[in-house]
This record gives sequence, C-alpha cells and structure tokens, in this order.
Amino acid sequence: MLSQRLIGRAAVKSAFRPSGLPSIVPASRWRRTYATEAEERDLVIIGGGVAGYVAAIKAGQEGMKVTCIEKRGALGGTCLNVGCIPSKSLLNNSHLYHQILHDTKHRGIEVGDVKLNLKQLMKAKEQSVSGLTKGVEFLFKKNGVEYIKGTGSFQDEHTIKVQLNDGGETSVVGKNILIATGSEVTPFPGLEIDEKRVISSTGAIALEEVPKKMIVIGGGIIGLEMASVWSRLGADVTVVEYLDVIGGPGMDTEIAKNIQKILKKQGINFKTSTKVVSGEKTGDEVKVQIDSSKGGKPETLEADVVLVAIGRRPYTGGLGLEKIGLELDERGRVIIDSEYRTKIPHIRCVGDVTFGPMLAHKAEEEAVAVVEYIKKGYGHVNYGCIPAVMYTFPEVAWVGQSEQDLKKAGIKYRVGTFPFSANSRAKTNLDTDGMVKMLADPETDRLLGIHIIGPNAGEMIAEGTLALEYGASSEDIARTCHAHPTLAEAFKEAAMATHSKPIHF
Amino acid sequence: MASFAAACRLSARLATRKLQQEAAVRGYRTSAVALAAQNFSMPALSPTMTEGNIATWRVKEGDKFSAGDVLLEIETDKATMDVEAQDDGILMKIMKGDGSKAVQVGTRIAVIAEEGDDISSLEIPPEENIQAVKAAEAPAVYTPSAPEPESAPSPPPQPRTVTPKPGPKTSGRTYPMLPSVAHLIKENGLDESVIKNITPTGPNGRLLKGDVLAYLGKINSQTPSEVSSRFEKASHLDLSNIKVAKAAEAKKPAVEAAPAVQAPPAPVKSLVTLPVSLSAVIEAQEKIQRSLGVFLPLSTFIARASEVANDELPLPAGYQPTTDELFNQVLGLDKISGPKASRGSYIPQIATFPPASTLSRPTQKKVDIIDLLTASKPKSAQPSVKKTPVLPGASTGPNIFSLQVPKAEERRAQVFLERIKLVLENEPGRLVL
Ligand SMILES: Cc1cc2nc3c(=O)[nH]c(=O)nc-3n(C[C@H](O)[C@H](O)[C@H](O)COP(=O)(O)OP(=O)(O)OC[C@H]3O[C@@H](n4cnc5c(N)ncnc54)[C@H](O)[C@@H]3O)c2cc1C
Repeated sequence: MLSQRLIGRAAVKSAFRPSGLPSIVPASRWRRTYATEAEERDLVIIGGGVAGYVAAIKAGQEGMKVTCIEKRGALGGTCLNVGCIPSKSLLNNSHLYHQILHDTKHRGIEVGDVKLNLKQLMKAKEQSVSGLTKGVEFLFKKNGVEYIKGTGSFQDEHTIKVQLNDGGETSVVGKNILIATGSEVTPFPGLEIDEKRVISSTGAIALEEVPKKMIVIGGGIIGLEMASVWSRLGADVTVVEYLDVIGGPGMDTEIAKNIQKILKKQGINFKTSTKVVSGEKTGDEVKVQIDSSKGGKPETLEADVVLVAIGRRPYTGGLGLEKIGLELDERGRVIIDSEYRTKIPHIRCVGDVTFGPMLAHKAEEEAVAVVEYIKKGYGHVNYGCIPAVMYTFPEVAWVGQSEQDLKKAGIKYRVGTFPFSANSRAKTNLDTDGMVKMLADPETDRLLGIHIIGPNAGEMIAEGTLALEYGASSEDIARTCHAHPTLAEAFKEAAMATHSKPIHF
Repeated sequence: MASFAAACRLSARLATRKLQQEAAVRGYRTSAVALAAQNFSMPALSPTMTEGNIATWRVKEGDKFSAGDVLLEIETDKATMDVEAQDDGILMKIMKGDGSKAVQVGTRIAVIAEEGDDISSLEIPPEENIQAVKAAEAPAVYTPSAPEPESAPSPPPQPRTVTPKPGPKTSGRTYPMLPSVAHLIKENGLDESVIKNITPTGPNGRLLKGDVLAYLGKINSQTPSEVSSRFEKASHLDLSNIKVAKAAEAKKPAVEAAPAVQAPPAPVKSLVTLPVSLSAVIEAQEKIQRSLGVFLPLSTFIARASEVANDELPLPAGYQPTTDELFNQVLGLDKISGPKASRGSYIPQIATFPPASTLSRPTQKKVDIIDLLTASKPKSAQPSVKKTPVLPGASTGPNIFSLQVPKAEERRAQVFLERIKLVLENEPGRLVL
C-alpha cells in the first residue's frame, strides 16, 4: 500500500514550483483592484517633525488612514535631526570631556593624556540621531503610517502636491490636513549664515574643529547650550545678549542671574545689555560691532566663528498657503483657533509653526490633541503646565510662572528656596551649585511656579509639573516622602521652606 | 459567577458589538466568588448615566437564565436598553421591581445565584457599598450612543463637555485626598458630611488645601476660586489680539463642513470563488488504482493541493508585520529576505463535491508509474477514451471552490484558489506520489 507517510511535503511543494507554470496571478490584475494612489486619506500631514510624526502615529493608532510628508529625508524634524537630540549628545559628551579634564583629579581619578577626538564625538551624535530617526520610521510602519519623502504644497484645500525627493511628483488628497512645518533659524540682518564661520545652531552642532574664539549672538537656551559645548571643548566663548539677563523668556530672573554666575565660573564671557549692531566677514575672521544698550562705547569683537542664536521663526516657505487663502500673523505664525483649526476648518496646524512656546514636548502634546479633536471632537493641552529645560551644567528647569511674571501681574506670592549646597546627595557628588525655588499663593499655598538650577533639574521638574497639573500646594509636596539621599530631597525641602521651614537649612 | 457585571451584557437596540466585547471583558475581570449569591447592581449604560428606571424584568424570580437571555429592560433619559445575561444563572431575588424609578447606578437591583445552586439554602448577601461599586466599575463605562459614524460626511464632532463643574458638592470624589487636605481635615476634626460642603476648586473638581482653609475661614473665601481662574486662563493658548500679517488678497475660500469622524471599518467578509475541474484528479485517481491498486479518496488530493497552495501566499492587505520584520524593512534588509508572503491555512469549500467512495473500481491495468510522475502535461486537456463513467452527482466538469475570507484577504484567497485549480487540473498525480 502506498502509505500517506511517504508523501512528504517537499515532494508536494516541488509539484507546484519547478514546472515552469505561468505566473498564477498576473500582478497587474491586483494592482488595478487594490490601487490606493487615488484614495482619499483621512489625514495628510505636512512635516515629519515632532508635531507631524507624533500626530501621524497617533492617527495611525486611531485607525485613520494617514500620510506624512517630510522633505528632510529623515523623520523627527528639527528636534531629532538638528535640535534637541544632537545638541544633547554634544552637551553630554563635552561635559564628560570637560569633567575628565578639570574635575576628576580632585575626586581621586587621575587620567593621563586626555585627547579630544571631535570626529568621534560627532559620530556618536550621528549614531544617536540616526538610531532615533530610524526608530520613528519603524513606528510609522508599525502604525500603518504612509511616509512620503518630498516637499508638500497646497494645490487646493484638500490636495497636497508633493515634489518627491527622488524626483517626480505625486499628490495626495486628505479629508483633513495638518500643517506641521515647524520653524527655522531667524537670520541676523546683514550677517549671512554660511554654516562655517557664521553659523546657526545647525552649524554649531557640526563644526569640524573647535574654534579658538566664538561669539554667540543671543543668550537664550540654544545659545547658552552651544556656548557650553564649545567652551568645554576649548573655545573662548563670548555670549552677547541684548537684554540684561540671559536665559530667554520664561526663565526666572533670580535663576538666570544665578546660572550666569555659574557659567561665567566655567569660563564663558557674557556681555549683557549689549546690542550687536552689525557684523562682517573679513578674511579668516568675523568682526562684530557691539553697542551697550545702556550707553557705553561701541566696541568691535573678533572671532573665527559667530553663532547666530537670536531665535527661531515659523516656517511656511513654499507651502502655497496663499493658494488657499490661509493667513499668518505678523510674526509669521499660522493663525489657528483653540482647536488648532485654521479658518479652513479641515486644515489644522500645530507645533513651532503656530502659537505657543517652540518646544518639542509642546509640539508633541498638541499633536495628540489635534488628532483627538479630529477623531473625537475633544482634546486638551494644558499650556500653563509646560516645563522648560536648559541642558547646561548644571541644568536649569522650570514650570509655571516666574517671580517677575507674578510681580508684573500684581499677584501676591510666597517664595521658598533650598540650595543644593545643603543637600546631602549634592554634597556627596561634589556638585553643589544651584537651588530649588518655589512660588506659591500666600493664602492657599497652591504652587504657582517651580524653578530649579541643579544637576538633573530637567528630570526633577517632572515632579513639579505633576504637582502643578494636580493643583498641589507646597505642603502636599512636603508631606510626600522623598528618598534619601537624593537631589529630590532639595525639592521637598524647598516645598517645606515655602509654607513653613526647611529641616536642613 | 460574580456580580451584575459578570452576568450581564448590553445588547440589541443600541449596543454595538464593541460594547459587548467591553462588557465581556469587564465580566471576566470581576473575580468570581462561588458558593454565595451575588448582588446585581444598576449598570452604567453610558458614561454620563447616573440613574435609570427599570422598565420590566424579563426573567422571574427563581427562574433560570442562560447567557444571552435578556434579563431586564432599563430606561434612561436617552433610550431603553436590554440587559443580557452573560453567563448562565438563576435570578434569586428582584430587589427593584418593574417600574422602579431613578435607581442610582451601583444600587443593588437583584440577587443572582450560580446555575445549579440551591437557592433555598443561599443567603442573600448584604448590599455592597455603592461608592465602591461605582469606583470599581468606572473604567468600564460604556457609550451606548450607537457605533461611531462611518467615514461618510457627518456633522462636525461636538466637543463633549464632561468635565464636572466645580459645584458646591464633592459627592463624586473617588480619589485619595491630597496629603495637605487630609491633614487639615484631621487637624480640624472635620467629618465626611462637612467635607461634602466644601467647594473644590482644583483641576477636575479636586479638593485643594486652599478650599479647606477657605471653608475654615482661615483665608479669604474668594481666594481659591480666584487662583483657579488664573490657572484656567493660563491653561489655554493666548489667541487674543492676533495681528494678521498684511495678507496678499486672496479670495475667501468656501468654508467646508468639518471633517467627518473616522471609525475603523467593520470587518467585511467576502466570498472568493473559482470553478475547478476535477477530471484530471479523477483520472489520476483511476490510474493510481489501476497501477498500484491503491484507492486514494478525492479528499486526499484536495488536502494535498491545499497544502501546496497555502504556501507563500501574498500577505493580506493591512497585514501587521512583526517587530523584526519592521526593523528589517527600516534597515532595508527586507529586500534580501523580508516576508512578502506567508503561509495560509485555507481549506476550500466545494460545491458538488463528488463522493469519492462511489468511484467504481475498474479492473487493474498496468500503467507505468513514471508516466504519472512526469505528467506535466495537463491530462484533462486530452479527453480520455477510457474515462470511467463517474458517479452520479460527481462532476468531472467544474466544481465551485470557494473561500469566505475577510475583505483584506481577498487577494490572498484568490491566489490560493487559482493555485489549487492549477494543481488539481494540471498535475494532480504529483500531489500524491
Ligand atoms: C539646537 C536646538 C535645540 C533644541 N533643543 C530642544 C530641547 O532640548 N527641548 C525642546 O523641547 N525643544 C528643543 N528645540 C526645539 C524643538 O526642536 C522644536 O520645538 C521642535 O522640533 C518643533 O517640532 P515641529 O514638528 O513643530 O517642527 P520641526 O521639528 O521643525 O519639524 C518640521 C518639519 O517639517 C518639514 N517641512 C517643512 N516644510 C515642509 C514641506 N513643505 N513639505 C514637507 N516637509 C516640510 C521640515 O523639514 C521639518 O523636518 C531645539 C531646537 C534647536 C534648533
């Protein structure tokens, strides 16, 4: 008997394969039936930055048919490619280098011959960046997001024409459109950015050698972070700031003065209340004319590299907004309503290109909210509760209102502070610069603002954000157990200082 | 069987399948305690439902019910809904009879026992704490307001305003108190009834330290709400005073209806069919019998053919690749090895399937086995003179092979059927040798 056991699967398989039979299903047939090109998407997103990619993933998770158009060739936008991520890589590693050079010896660690390998430093940065952007691409696939590499522009209110990066053109039609085109560097009039000698933050994260002298125009977060990197790596850095305090909008003045002192100790020069009048490239040098805004004499500074860090502006170039009659405000922001709708309601807009602070996590919150608005009719971002962090060493972080804000608004407040010099963990770490400062309503004790300078302030601010989100009083924090010995104890002690007295100070 | 939650589910008039699933999930989550009767409490049939009327009980006290039976009808201000049993059981006692009005969600409305329980010996359990029930059930609140609209144009989604207004009552508090609040309450000897009268001003109606202080008269009574309104203001983007940049004059675009709410499409099944001739199979069957004396039923051929045809089928539309596959795609490795196909597990349905057992057994005749093995030429193409008159009802002509598959798998199923056709019509001998 011919047993069935004899009939192996391999034999069966071969029955089908090698006989050179015609391809069973002509591909064209299916292509016709299942073509998607002309199909309308539920959501088309222009820009694959934090705002765009988060919205795309969220929409994919909500079961929407979503397409994201990005022209950069990589996802993640400014933040992942030339912003938050590469800058933090350089900040972290330059800090390590600087610490080995100047700080480990008195801790009992003697390192011989310390050398900077800038190429490798940059490579480490690039690895982080590409790992993360690829990760986003992976998440797109995972959540069924269609990713088109190209430049999008409005053809009409529902159709986006895409100039493909690989050449050619296509167009996508969306029931809803999301503008998430982000921001670009605000140029300094009369000082053309060439990213070699006159650079923006994008050039500053990719310099090929450490400049001898560097001038940073603008003492905001980006300027100070870049100043830190290059100063640690050996450049002689001068920060020129028009206002009398550094740190940019939102930073508490007391904190700003404090961090300025700390950074100065680290070797960064500051010229506050100073205006850059003009600049010019001559030979190997860039000359910058400055003028004290308080009426000193004009001065000329020279450097081999000048970083323009006077801010960022919304980016809508080539988007064709005029074709559909969308308006910008006088600062170039796309005008929206509280549900992120433009005046054409199915076209919405989030992230740096519209109102609010230009922060990645703000863009991310909005991205989720806007998809919820589209899908469910309700979304929410608490703009009063968005933390900000400057990743210098020590870090500066805050959430809520600053002391000067409250003063200006005539709001009464109570202050509690606690210095890291009185915190046991900071002492053991020999990193005692900085403090925690809390502002609370004097009657109800409800927290109004929290400001920190200190190692890991950026992590610590999460507790403050949570407290604010829940309407906590300083006493609520003080009555919550914090592990010992941790830096977070300083947070608790500042809370105690706000409504009664700290134990350890 | 556990509480009401375990025993019932919503259905019929308003509840969608999704809701039933949720109800089912909820049911399983509740841990069952045997040996005791269980309380049924008033279910929350929508996120906003706080009370409802009992229209009628469809099951009588002492009656058994099975999963799926409608136990009772509940009226809310929105609609009347059936509540179905999810497990089998016995309705031991009805606590809130037909026509009971304004029954609070979480209130016990009946007592049920497990199937097979001797209800005469079971004790009626005490009523559970309503608050606790509410809290426990909160995450599983259903929205019986019909399935979400399909992608068809629909009115703009209405923002739902479900945020509880900070009112004079804190009755709905289900979260732990802030430490400062708990402390003040103890310190000042305030009891539960008093706490209810304190106006909460925190986010989502949370009771804050300032609220208690204001209640105690230790601070200005207006301060907490003033602080709160400042926070409320700060929580929004400031979109006042927008100064429009001088706009290049553009014609005002027609304002379109706001986007439709998208709902995931309900899985659509589709039927894929293909006529397949079994004449070659029958011929091979005969040949094998003649040459080897072995009778192979048609089902063997079809099973073998299915096995072959299931190999490396195109992926269903919307196929969710595994994490590894995705990473390979991102890294471009899929071009080398990625799965563009996967093995299927289809079994075709066949109309006018010829009953194999009736195949007549012809006298043995020598046929070279090699002929069979190399039969690459379609035998069916050359009508055989020796063809056995086959069985009544069995057809050597086309039989309809069909598959019922989700819409996304249409193509996959079609490929499967075309392959099975090819194999059965062209070289069935190979399948079994
Ligand atoms: C040096 C630096 C450091 C920073 N550090 C931090 C930080 O530490 N923390 C923080 O929160 N924020 C930081 N930011 C800010 C942060 O990067 C931005 O807030 C964030 O990237 C905004 O996201 P977005 O999606 O709105 O815009 P973007 O990230 O700018 O993304 C917009 C994307 O849209 C694309 N695009 C534009 N037009 C088109 C078009 N027509 N078609 C197709 N694609 C288009 C662009 O290529 C871009 O990739 C930093 C910024 C810089 C420059």
